[in-house]
Amino acid sequence: MHIPDGYVDITIAVLFGVLSVAILALAARRVGREVPESRAPLLGVVAAGIFAAQMLNWPIPGGTSAHFVGGAFAAILLGPHLGALCVATVVTIQALVFGDGGLVVLGANVFNMAIVEVYVGYGIYRLLAPYGEFRAAFAAGWLGITAGALTAGLQLGFSSAFEYQLLTTLSIMGVGHLVLGLIEGGITAVVYRYLADARPDLRPTADAEVSLS
Amino acid sequence: MSHLPDWLPRALAALVVLTLLAPVFGWAAGAVGYAEPLENAAEATGAVDSAEAVGIALLPDYSVAGLGAATGTFVSAVVGTALTLIVALGIGRLLGSEPNAE
Repeated sequence: MHIPDGYVDITIAVLFGVLSVAILALAARRVGREVPESRAPLLGVVAAGIFAAQMLNWPIPGGTSAHFVGGAFAAILLGPHLGALCVATVVTIQALVFGDGGLVVLGANVFNMAIVEVYVGYGIYRLLAPYGEFRAAFAAGWLGITAGALTAGLQLGFSSAFEYQLLTTLSIMGVGHLVLGLIEGGITAVVYRYLADARPDLRPTADAEVSLS
Repeated sequence: MSHLPDWLPRALAALVVLTLLAPVFGWAAGAVGYAEPLENAAEATGAVDSAEAVGIALLPDYSVAGLGAATGTFVSAVVGTALTLIVALGIGRLLGSEPNAE
């Protein structure tokens, strides 16, 4: 889902760059008073784990596939604001050091994966958690990545390189990730349940959750 | 940092396992002709040729100049995972220390 430079028109890239900076700045302010010292190592490890997991492209016969993005996972484990900063760190390092996703479109990629997937995923998780945390985490990962893919589809579909074929980009990105997102949801739910069982103390504090309201 | 959390060794071990898996998955992705929906959309609309590589990337496409694909992927995984860990730790410490500064 990492858009390279040249795919998205410059006006769209700038628009989403400004939006991403503004939202991340707000997230940093919201999170500023809520990060106890003990959560810094967790942020580091979750970000590093997401970077490493994103390198594992699922080898599905037939070719069309994806990799774990982890936006909803980060949101559930760290709270949405810290989760957004976590995934934004990963996406920025991927672009700067590895050329995975462009520099001009960095803001758009951050918006799709670190903002849309994180906040949509978190919203779905909170909405469904009363009906079971495992199911809620699954739906969060599944629909979070689909929402991020649809946003990417919008950015591409309004760009000249894609000949403004909005329906094509939305359907290929949306349907593709709706199907592949089942794996994202599965990983999100299984890993979260393992961590929640093994270390209940690592779950987000009530403080971090209050900040959503 | 005053003390390290007791879960840190296991978490770091999990990160090492993930970096070891990277070259294996890299090989498998090549074997099945891995392509993401984004690439499919680019092909369907003729956008493929518009893609521009990032010039400043030190390890483009998770590869290392002069090293084979598997070794390059592994080195990229280790460098990227370690770098992400350090940067995110730094961000966490920075944000966490804010209230004390006020």
